[in-house]
Amino acid sequence: MDITVVHHPFGVAEVTVGGRLNMVTAARMREAIEQAVDANHPNVAVDLSQVVFLDSSGLGALVAGLKAVRASGGDLRLVRPAEQAQLVLELTNMGSVLQSFDSVGAAFPHA
Amino acid sequence: MPEVVSRSFRLHCPPDTVDTLQDLLATIWAQTPHLDPADRMAAELSIVELAANVMEHSNNGAPVSFTISIVVYDDRIEATATDEGAVDHVDLRDRAMPDQYAERGRGLPIMQALSDSVEHRRIEGFNHWTVVRGRRHGGAPPRKAMPSISIAGVIDEMARQRALDDMGILDTPPEERFDRVTRLARQFFGVETAAVNLIDGDRQWAKAVSGIGPVEMPRDESMCTVTIQGDGPLVVPELTADPAHAHKMVPGLINFYAGFPLYAPGGERIGAFCVYDSQPRHFSARETEMLRDLAGWVQQELTVSQELSRASEVQQGLLPQQLLSLPGWKTAGVCIPARAVGGDFYDWYPVGEGAALTLADAMGKGIAAAIIAATVRAVLRSAARFGDVAGAVDAASAALTVDLDNAGVFVTAFHSRLDMDSGVLSYVDAGHGLSIVARADGSSQRLRSTAPPLGVDPETEWQVQTVQLDPGDTLIVVSDGVLDLYDGTLHSLDNLVTLALLAQDPWEIIEAIRARARGASSDDVTVLIVRRDDAD
Repeated sequence: MDITVVHHPFGVAEVTVGGRLNMVTAARMREAIEQAVDANHPNVAVDLSQVVFLDSSGLGALVAGLKAVRASGGDLRLVRPAEQAQLVLELTNMGSVLQSFDSVGAAFPHA
Repeated sequence: MPEVVSRSFRLHCPPDTVDTLQDLLATIWAQTPHLDPADRMAAELSIVELAANVMEHSNNGAPVSFTISIVVYDDRIEATATDEGAVDHVDLRDRAMPDQYAERGRGLPIMQALSDSVEHRRIEGFNHWTVVRGRRHGGAPPRKAMPSISIAGVIDEMARQRALDDMGILDTPPEERFDRVTRLARQFFGVETAAVNLIDGDRQWAKAVSGIGPVEMPRDESMCTVTIQGDGPLVVPELTADPAHAHKMVPGLINFYAGFPLYAPGGERIGAFCVYDSQPRHFSARETEMLRDLAGWVQQELTVSQELSRASEVQQGLLPQQLLSLPGWKTAGVCIPARAVGGDFYDWYPVGEGAALTLADAMGKGIAAAIIAATVRAVLRSAARFGDVAGAVDAASAALTVDLDNAGVFVTAFHSRLDMDSGVLSYVDAGHGLSIVARADGSSQRLRSTAPPLGVDPETEWQVQTVQLDPGDTLIVVSDGVLDLYDGTLHSLDNLVTLALLAQDPWEIIEAIRARARGASSDDVTVLIVRRDDAD
């Protein structure tokens, strides 16, 4: 898994994940989100366009991240989930909680 | 032929992870280019969830090893995982998706949502998981009901294989009692081949084959593997005329087949008795009945094998299971019956400040001799606790004479008691006469028999003799089967003396004799050795 974090103005962090988001890599993504929160970037946009595989562990890490950012007054939103990730989100009825957008700007327009 | 891709992986976690598994899955997907991406995606997610569940929960988070097998059929994808985890209960009922803010608990619901069947069974300390997904896109229509097909099949096959393994018949040499049935069947039906075929893992192996058929072949090319799917006869007059079997026709070997299943004692179908021919052939109802009778005969022989194999285990269990704790001495023994069971035994056990050592040989071979040998052993053992050497043999003789007389057999025996401090061995030799002491200086001394065998003369006065065993001396007692491994005469004992001089340890002598006996002995081969350590 590859993971990059870009800090934008107004407390927005763009976390881009590539490869597999599974039991092996979930913890690393969760840490990246928590570090963004600690750096006063509680609005986290997770770009899943490069994720080839998402499973329940990856999903669990996204939910944990969501709870962490909301506790700091922010939110966690997804950007362009790839086909398989989209399928997992639908299958698990997570689409309403982990909302998807076409870009970071669309995810946090007023930031 | 439909494409079937099958792979098995063994994972040890740690260091293996779901990434290891996913890398392996990629090799399967590379071999199944026609698998629709949606089916592949669903299968991969289900399999990863299954593996993650095993890694995290099956052994309460402790390291766990498991085997995962994946088969891609034309109509479905099956994954079976087998682990030895301590957790033995899994509740698969009513697994709904958890609350949206839950961080855990989605694995099983995801598997169930994407699969037609998710099953778990605990069998003899193993967790068996099976996940089946019917191919939705571009696959063949499902041939049978999807749920349960797989796990039931896997477990039946495991039970079947275990039953076959337990029979101890695989890869044993040909036996006349099976060969004559196949010979008879071949002549009676006028076919080119008759065989007793056993289905072992991914191969078919013939215990008996008469005619031109192979002893071994891949299971997926075998007809008998079809026969064992049912309880009745399988008769195919012309393979090439039957789409289900046409691909198993082999020119010059098989185009007609008739077979009956054969069973293990527990009822598992382990193979088939069959006849086949390179030419199509009508097989009448009367012939089918005849084939059934011949299969019944083979079945009886198989059952006898099983009982003998049990008897053999019981008899080996009667030999000393532990080494004697005798400071300054080493003992070793072996008993190799010519058949499954035999009339020889050796025995040792501590008595007072030393040990009793016995070797006996009941006349004859096989079960009758084995029963007598077991009786002699028991009587000598119980008598040795109470009397001296002569008293024990006397008690044994008195108890056995009537039995031995009725059975019309007799028993030769060397029964002795060793005083471990002085090295004095007191013994009674009842008609045995196959004992020799190899001295440390290279000389030897035969211990002659002065009394008749047990069961010959109830009035016998048993004379106790003694021999002194000094440091470096070795006592060797054998049954007459050992002589046959050399020149068949008493000079063979000299070979054993030479062995004793060369060997550092009594077990080396045993191993040398065992190697010589391998495949060559027509009589029971039994050896008992006691050696006094060299002086420091």
